[in-house]
Amino acid sequence: MNAGHLKIAVIAAALCWFSGMAGAGETAQTLAGTELKSEPFIDAGTVATLPAGSAVEIVKRQGGWMQVKSAGGDSGWLKMTGVKLGGSADAKGDSGLGTLWNVARSGRSGSTGVTVATGVRGLSPEDLKNAKPAPEAVKKLDSFAAAKKDAEAFAGKAALRRQTIDYIADAGSGNAASGGGRK
Amino acid sequence: MSRRLLAGVLGMLLGWALNAAAFELNINKLVDVIGKTKDLKPVDDRGEAEIGSGVAANLLGAVPLVQDEKLQAYVNRLGLWLALQTERADLPWRFGVLDSDSINAFAAPGGYVFVTRGLLLRMRSEAELAGVLAHEIGHVLKRHHLQAIQKNAQTGILADLVSLAADNAQRGDLAQKAISAGTELYVRGLDKNDEFEADRIGVVLAARAGYDPYGLPAVLQTLEAMNAQDSSLALMFKTHPAPAQRLQLLDAAMTGKLERYAAQPQMAERFEKTVGDYIRRVR
Repeated sequence: MNAGHLKIAVIAAALCWFSGMAGAGETAQTLAGTELKSEPFIDAGTVATLPAGSAVEIVKRQGGWMQVKSAGGDSGWLKMTGVKLGGSADAKGDSGLGTLWNVARSGRSGSTGVTVATGVRGLSPEDLKNAKPAPEAVKKLDSFAAAKKDAEAFAGKAALRRQTIDYIADAGSGNAASGGGRK
Repeated sequence: MSRRLLAGVLGMLLGWALNAAAFELNINKLVDVIGKTKDLKPVDDRGEAEIGSGVAANLLGAVPLVQDEKLQAYVNRLGLWLALQTERADLPWRFGVLDSDSINAFAAPGGYVFVTRGLLLRMRSEAELAGVLAHEIGHVLKRHHLQAIQKNAQTGILADLVSLAADNAQRGDLAQKAISAGTELYVRGLDKNDEFEADRIGVVLAARAGYDPYGLPAVLQTLEAMNAQDSSLALMFKTHPAPAQRLQLLDAAMTGKLERYAAQPQMAERFEKTVGDYIRRVR
């Protein structure tokens, strides 16, 4: 069922979703008055001061920072926790522009104006309560399991490097030293 | 006379002694029961696997798997790579994309992890998917669902899930009850501190696996920006703390610890290629 609905959306999707890389093309608003930094560090120089509610265009995310362009044309960096995604206060569940879902669901693109809605297959508490067990689906799932060597090859192709890192504590419970400005 | 008195006194003493013994026995039993709810004995691996596959069967009865082997293989490779960075690398890890437009992710005991198509399509990179899968892996590592089943059962029969290990007559019945209770958790939710803990584990595992650890915070930010009335979010918002709160706590916990890994790859292109190929196949 979803397949059928998605079918038409896909044409539009293919056209525009490659703009969606890591937040590009998305907009956000500053949550409070904030300094636009020249680099993604707390102690970097200040490019401009933005009041609360300033609309910015996201260029990309890097770690906990967003590279943005302000309405005034300034470029710089903001902490990701200092902004809320979405252009205006009344983003009607239409946020996350640039993600695959939005394109697949609405089927809208600037050039075609095609609008197609997919059927929404939900997952409600009733669905879960009334579910009949599907052990054959669990068997199917088993057949998708990856072997260790596949997982390692998958990581190798992306040059993902294994790191040794301890688990972290809740900042409220441990002696959470604020090292945000260091680099 | 004195013999009778002696006998009487002895009788009384014996009575006390017996009463005291019985009382002590009750106290011990009570302490034992209280102790169980405070310090639950872990379910053994076999019991965990049995409960997990039963809960997974119920979940898959409510919502089927996406029928796309390539997409499922992709998620399994990524998921196993993350799981290999953990203290439970040897579990039979299974990852699945659920054919639902709802936005959610689930774990079941024993190594089952699921993400909905709706959530997958709202992500921008492999680092974001890694963060979500690693959060669910965190629930499995910490046995959050098993503990919740036992805690909720309080002093009932389920509190002693450890007896699943024994081949007794009650075994099947006990497992069924645990499976029902485990499935119910998808509607009721886990303790919010379990969610916060899984968030902290998720970002560490993503970083251990070589990804930018800020993928999970980025997903939380996406959720935060969505309309809370959106029906696709109903179950997730009912069962989890608010995304804004999770984001704040996670950011604070990561500060000074994980920032140095922020430049690790996000793998946006491989993610877009893989999911895009899937969307094209759906035509």
